[in-house]
Amino acid sequence: MSLDQLMQVPGALAAFQYNDKGDLQAHRVNEGSELTPQVLDLLAHTCVANIAIATMEARGWEALTGQTGFEPVQGFSLVGLDWSAVVGRNHGVVVKNRDVDYEAAFAALANC
Amino acid sequence: MRIISQLMAIPGVIAAGEYAYRGDRYSFEGNITNELARMASILCRSNTLAVNMQAEIFSAFSENCGCKPVQGWIVHGKMMSVCVVGNFFCFCQNTPGLLNDVMTILRAKVGDIEENPLVYMYAKLGGDVNEKLY
Repeated sequence: MSLDQLMQVPGALAAFQYNDKGDLQAHRVNEGSELTPQVLDLLAHTCVANIAIATMEARGWEALTGQTGFEPVQGFSLVGLDWSAVVGRNHGVVVKNRDVDYEAAFAALANC
Repeated sequence: MRIISQLMAIPGVIAAGEYAYRGDRYSFEGNITNELARMASILCRSNTLAVNMQAEIFSAFSENCGCKPVQGWIVHGKMMSVCVVGNFFCFCQNTPGLLNDVMTILRAKVGDIEENPLVYMYAKLGGDVNEKLY
């Protein structure tokens, strides 16, 4: 799925692609959005870090509790005041909270 | 009804709880032990602090970027998800519709949804929701 297709997720303000280190590779931003490439790059870095932390926690939790289903971590979302950043492996989408559909966003990212 | 009880009433929710931002107080309902609820509370609190710190850094780049203050976060696992808004957490299965419902309830109770969550949920279908509902 391309960034243009990710922009079709309900309420999408921006879509971006990043490498395993979190460096921004490509992005699309809706007109009028205050999101800059600099912020998206920072967002990508934090999401890579958060997914790494979540994977560590999921692995530890499964080992400690015997509960399964957390691993592998498929995605992470940071729910901000006005928007939510939803990220998968190497793609992410920023969605307006008013219109957000987390499941649709995660499903779209799973196809990237 | 308490938020935790409301969440637990949804089929597919495994556990839900509330933690204190400071100290080690917590409460929970669901299919986990007291010790695991304590660990979950610590885990959720530390992640919440981390994402708040990240939002502070974003705001240094763009003052009105729209992320601050952070409402919460979601970890979407293969079959389970962990949702946190404010100081409430919820462990739920990845059954269709559940994640959105859990987040709507959490955001309505401790987040940014000001109207009735039912209105908010049905608004996505379009039309005059208030007229149809009431």
